Amino acid sequence: MRLEKCWFCSSTVYPGHGIQFVRNDAKIFCFCRSKCHKNFKMKRNPRKVKWTKAYRRLHGKDMTQDSTFEFERKRNRPERYDRNLAENTLKAIKKIDKIRSDRASDHIKNRLKTGKVQRQKEARKQLELGIHLVKAPLALAQDSSLCLPKIKVNVSQAQTEENQPMED
Amino acid sequence: MAVTFASRCSRVGRSLMGGLGNNLSNLRSTSSEITCSSFLSQQQRTFIQMRTVLKVVDNSGAKKVMCIQALKGKKGARLGDTIIASVKEAMPNGKVKKGKVVYGVVVRAAMQRGRCDGSEVKFDDNAVVLVEKQGQPIGTRVFGPVPHELRQKKHVKILTLAEHIA
Repeated sequence: MRLEKCWFCSSTVYPGHGIQFVRNDAKIFCFCRSKCHKNFKMKRNPRKVKWTKAYRRLHGKDMTQDSTFEFERKRNRPERYDRNLAENTLKAIKKIDKIRSDRASDHIKNRLKTGKVQRQKEARKQLELGIHLVKAPLALAQDSSLCLPKIKVNVSQAQTEENQPMED
Repeated sequence: MAVTFASRCSRVGRSLMGGLGNNLSNLRSTSSEITCSSFLSQQQRTFIQMRTVLKVVDNSGAKKVMCIQALKGKKGARLGDTIIASVKEAMPNGKVKKGKVVYGVVVRAAMQRGRCDGSEVKFDDNAVVLVEKQGQPIGTRVFGPVPHELRQKKHVKILTLAEHIA
């Protein structure tokens, strides 16, 4: 039993699922479900289709280089069966999976961090500008904590006369 | 809308009349092909039956054969089955001549065949290797990939001659 990777979306194909297409040049394409198979028949390039792993890796959305990927490399040398080895491997698979998924989610979180900070800054600015939409002006005047702290600016007499029409 | 309806009714039609009317099913499949080809190239691949033209992938001399009978199978032949065919196109100097009635083993079929692990395999075209009545291939070389379903059908000689086993 071997778990294959779907040629289109790079998800694992478990036994009993999917279709294998053998082209006349003896290249085999495994697909996990008919969605990927139909996209292939439409001659779509997986590197351009947004929901595939190939696109995400190419555009830096997902983690590409990590030491945990070394464990999943295909090795063609068969190993002699050893019960202890098999047991340790099974335990290691679980642990490595957890580490890999944690690192992948960290990668995505870091990627989305800058956007989050930006959005918070924009929200704060919008609140400052439009506080009059949220709170009544009387309440603002009474409750000094809601409005911005008043900063004293020393202005000369000539400048105040110019500024008056602008304040309205 | 019309396209999806046509494809849906063609799918139902295929299951109903898969084995019954050869001409009717061919007509229906070609008509659905024409209506759907503008939208998507979805073809319903079916069995290899009478009047199916197959490619010959050995060096026996024939190029194209037309199936005249599928041995074993009410609806038609699938991957790994034997057929009786008539040679329609042949190389000028080869072991088989045009018009000869030969036996053949289907080595590539566009219709998917279920494997014992539950997955399905399909090839790009319909191809056949000409054999004698006993099962020995007439040619000495086989081109293109062949499935390992042939091992179960005891066509070991073809497997040894093949350049790639899928």
